[in-house]
Amino acid sequence: MLKLQISQTSPMPLQIQLACLPGELHALVGPSGSGKTSTLRAIAGLMGVDEGLIQCDDIDWFNANHAKVNVNLPTADRSCGFLFQQYALFPHLNALENIAIPLRKHYPDSSERLKLAQQWLDNLGISDLSQRMPQELSGGQQQRVALARALARKPKVLLLDEPFSAIDIPTRQELYKTLASIRKELNIPILLVTHDLKEASLLADRITVIDQGISLQTASPRVLFQKPRNSRVAELVGINNIFRGVFSAGALSLDGSPHVFQVVDKGKIPAGQKVAWVIPQSGISVYAQSTSRTLAATVNQLSSIGQIASIQFLLKGSEVLVNWEASSAEIKRLAIQLGSEAHIEFDAQQIHIMPLRPINDPRRLQESGNTSAL
Amino acid sequence: MDLDSIYLSLKLALWTLAIMIPLGVWCAYRLLNAGSMKAWLEAGLALPLVLPPTVLGYYFLVGFGGKTFFGVPLVFSFTGILIASLIVNLPFAIQPIQRAFEAIDPQIREAAKVCGLSPWQAFRFIELPLIWRGILSASALTFAHTLGEFGVVLMVGGAIPGETKTASIAIYDRVQSFDTAGAGKLSLLLLGISLIAIALSYGLFSPRNRHRPTGKR
Repeated sequence: MLKLQISQTSPMPLQIQLACLPGELHALVGPSGSGKTSTLRAIAGLMGVDEGLIQCDDIDWFNANHAKVNVNLPTADRSCGFLFQQYALFPHLNALENIAIPLRKHYPDSSERLKLAQQWLDNLGISDLSQRMPQELSGGQQQRVALARALARKPKVLLLDEPFSAIDIPTRQELYKTLASIRKELNIPILLVTHDLKEASLLADRITVIDQGISLQTASPRVLFQKPRNSRVAELVGINNIFRGVFSAGALSLDGSPHVFQVVDKGKIPAGQKVAWVIPQSGISVYAQSTSRTLAATVNQLSSIGQIASIQFLLKGSEVLVNWEASSAEIKRLAIQLGSEAHIEFDAQQIHIMPLRPINDPRRLQESGNTSAL
Repeated sequence: MDLDSIYLSLKLALWTLAIMIPLGVWCAYRLLNAGSMKAWLEAGLALPLVLPPTVLGYYFLVGFGGKTFFGVPLVFSFTGILIASLIVNLPFAIQPIQRAFEAIDPQIREAAKVCGLSPWQAFRFIELPLIWRGILSASALTFAHTLGEFGVVLMVGGAIPGETKTASIAIYDRVQSFDTAGAGKLSLLLLGISLIAIALSYGLFSPRNRHRPTGKR
């Protein structure tokens, strides 16, 4: 198991907490410059941090508190495989020799090293590439060789730094399959840095959302999308229906409109508290006719890409905008067009309420320690 | 023909190469992580490029005149001109190697670390094979430059036949004594040697020869 609790103030603030279990694929997502890659580099020892703990299988790789460094293993002694975004294959060595390099530590005999390296090439289905130089390989092939090289030293942790971002989509799908199959065999913690939420939710068991150097929430993709911890997480995971209101004993208001929704009061939020709330796509229904549970709206924007249409409704008598996606057939059935009227129903069961905190609120730092969803 | 002076020039150039190249690799490697001192160190090492050789020779005479190195006098001796030659060649040896080091993608170094290589192994198996063109270029420049060095060798070594009278000084001597034919022969020979050194280095640099060095790994 990989345990991580690191912090530093400069050159960039970083306050990350996470744990990754053996066999778990854990994605780190966040905007550019949020500290995802720095986190990975800190684990590998390629970047120093002020204080904290990096522990793998109960062995400290880094341990420092109050600027006193107790343990700080050099990179070469941290048993981790690292996959770089730009592959970073050694340009003067062929594929086989590249994979043999990490074996140098444990296998002094060069023929044995090359034999083991060939086995890794076989495992990853690229046996025929053994004598090729890196510059003679495609991006996908280079990344496979790099993956074989990262795995060759039998690492205790696998760190993947945006490994698929420079690779075309069909090859990427193939690499996803390879990753999925090797993770079963390896049974080690795997950390994947990506800015692609789709990729993260497709591959990862759990996702940690990082923003401005702070880990905001760790959860399974399903929980993350349905129950983001706060409005910033909701924004970062691409939820486009984020509303504000006041919660008071089961009654949830919607700022800018007179509507009030009845939701279950779990007793976690004090009465009269200003909150942000989200509702997933599945919680929104649109009808042509009004019912007792629907809110009247007009179509404010309509754009269709292929078979999918994106509609923005304006709730009548308010300034509230609601985003909705539907198939072209559905749009036709509901006779939706720009300026037309529609009736929207919110499934109150699916409403998720979150504390409302501005992004620069220092209290966010404290709450980032608690990674459970509300 | 004054073969003694040619022999002496070659001896000086080879000794300079033998000492300068490992020193150049070490200096260039250290410069990579020299931090805030880097600009000052680079400027200091580049000084021989712009300093008149006579000025360098003058300070050498003032600084080392009458001193010995393991019993060998430092001026008007082969050891003296060798040390002077090393100083003069610092930028010619270090700069091409430094450029070669800098051309290595930092991620390649990081990849070497995460492959579990020690700093020495990373240097030996990853960086050294990647900087060999820089080393070749530095060798050609240092060799050719040492053959042609005149001012500083004359100032520090005088022109003692068989000890410090190198080919370029011998050419000057011949011209002074109106032996233009002798000067011509020596000049032609030096031109030939320099041309071979440079052609060899450029030939190895040419795109069609840009294959990797072979060897057991």
